[in-house]
Amino acid sequence: MAQVIQYLLNGIMNGALYALIAVGIVSIFKSTKVVSFAHGHVIMFGAYFYFTFAVILPGAEFMPDWVAKWEPEWLLAYKEGAAMFSPKAAIAAWVSNLPRIVLGLVGSIVCNALLAVFIERAFMRPLLGQSSLSMILCTVGLIWVLEGSASLIWSADIDQVPPLGPNFPIRFTVFDSQVFLFSSSVVNFVIALILFIGLMLVLRYTRSGVAVRATAEDQSTAYAMGINVPAVFTTAWVVAATTGAIAGAILASRNGLSPTLGLFGLSVLAVVLMGGLDSFAGVFIASMIIGIFEAFTQWQFGGEYAEIVPYVLVLLVILWRPNGLMGQAEIERI
Amino acid sequence: MLQINNINVNYHHAVQVLKGFSISVKPGEVTALLGANGAGKTTVLKAASGLLPLENGHIEDGDIIFDGHSVRQVKPHLLARKGLVHVREGRRIFAEMSVEDNLKAATYALTGRKAGQGIDQVYTYFPRLQERSRQLAGLLSGGEQQMLAMARALIAEPKLILLDEPSLGLAPKMVDEIFAIIARINREQNVSMLLVEQNARAAFSVSHQGYIVENGKVVLEGRIDELKANEDIQTFYLGMGDADGEKSFRDVKHYKRRKRWLN
Repeated sequence: MAQVIQYLLNGIMNGALYALIAVGIVSIFKSTKVVSFAHGHVIMFGAYFYFTFAVILPGAEFMPDWVAKWEPEWLLAYKEGAAMFSPKAAIAAWVSNLPRIVLGLVGSIVCNALLAVFIERAFMRPLLGQSSLSMILCTVGLIWVLEGSASLIWSADIDQVPPLGPNFPIRFTVFDSQVFLFSSSVVNFVIALILFIGLMLVLRYTRSGVAVRATAEDQSTAYAMGINVPAVFTTAWVVAATTGAIAGAILASRNGLSPTLGLFGLSVLAVVLMGGLDSFAGVFIASMIIGIFEAFTQWQFGGEYAEIVPYVLVLLVILWRPNGLMGQAEIERI
Repeated sequence: MLQINNINVNYHHAVQVLKGFSISVKPGEVTALLGANGAGKTTVLKAASGLLPLENGHIEDGDIIFDGHSVRQVKPHLLARKGLVHVREGRRIFAEMSVEDNLKAATYALTGRKAGQGIDQVYTYFPRLQERSRQLAGLLSGGEQQMLAMARALIAEPKLILLDEPSLGLAPKMVDEIFAIIARINREQNVSMLLVEQNARAAFSVSHQGYIVENGKVVLEGRIDELKANEDIQTFYLGMGDADGEKSFRDVKHYKRRKRWLN
């Protein structure tokens, strides 16, 4: 029983990460009807920007020391006598990292937003009004452009970055059995949840949400009705890239930073297809299912199978519901 | 209100659709544009509302003047915000959104202007839409969808509405209802309209002025009374034969000859 709950929790935490990556793909698809194959690589760029602003820049000579390691009196006093790996020590370490974490996040969000504006202006806007297939293929091409330029600008070596939240194990008892979690996973989970719910509410209940949905359904008609469609497109790409920057920072702090991070993002596309390309709720559920399924497969059959079995499930679900779990099929006239 | 001066339009720089096309829409009037399929009527509306570039269409010569300004290069959303609204062929409502959200989307055309008449005001023309304001627009009947498309245009406080085949696919009774609303909007809101139609009888019932288009050119124009009296129009658009039944083939040839001469 303990192990079931343990793997269930691990699965949910992994699922939240998938959801955080997926949110960008859905937001681009919802407004532009373009499936962005390059989203994983935009996330990778976010991770590298985070690395640049949280590791390289604080280490530069002209930066004041407190950016790299912030140690005010009260923090030293707080840390005094804390055991290794205790929550106290982890929180103290996190607080002293806080300046560079904030710098890294702000930097990567801003830079990724600029990257998104560039991609949208340079590659998507000229194709406005063409079939969305040409835009989709354009994002496929972007994969290699981004991957290549990342290893040009930075290096292909694996680097470490500071985690977004304090990292210590949380132990607790459920049904008389001991389970444990990493606190940073909980932080990631909360971030993913907030972003998801926030975007869903904006889309469903605000006037801007109406503009996005109108654009999604019929670009040229929305355009002729006074909605600034190119601006909607830019916004969608910026939303995707900024959430991607956060996802990138989280991924890099968990698994280390390397250009292969983009491929991981690409695999999340399967999760998005399972949930339904245009449904935030469906994609969230699919992320959780895949996360949990992956964890249980790993437990029962080992790591090799965990790479395959969840995606077989994706295929089965798509056979059963071609538009994904909660994807909207075209409305038939009654 | 709207003046199209001698424009040439082609698609993909390969297919010439309009050749030296000119019309003018007078303020407060409904102007009808009649013609066979493929004559270029819809292209005229797309040229006026700025949608042509999205479909690889190009205006080569001439100019389009709306409200005293050239609008050849203006983006569609800015035109809508200036009061030129296009109700497109096949209604093009947002099927997966509720009726109310469809209307809310249309309020973007009011950006940068004083707040227009509210949704409630527009519902007075379309009481049936009010009853269904929460329903998904895709589940409305054809006639209701056409009403929604026109309601969306009305929200935008238009000076000119471009109406593309409002009678498309509707039952005769519904066509009458739609055209009654068109006449009422024109009368009460003093909105000019450019109306593209296949149903000439319905179009004539609301229009003040008309143009007959063939192969991308205007072949006949005039006030509606003049057009109604025109023998060719009676035969080929209104379906009125002579008293002794169908016209003979020789007369059809006369019509063709006449058209060639007009070309």
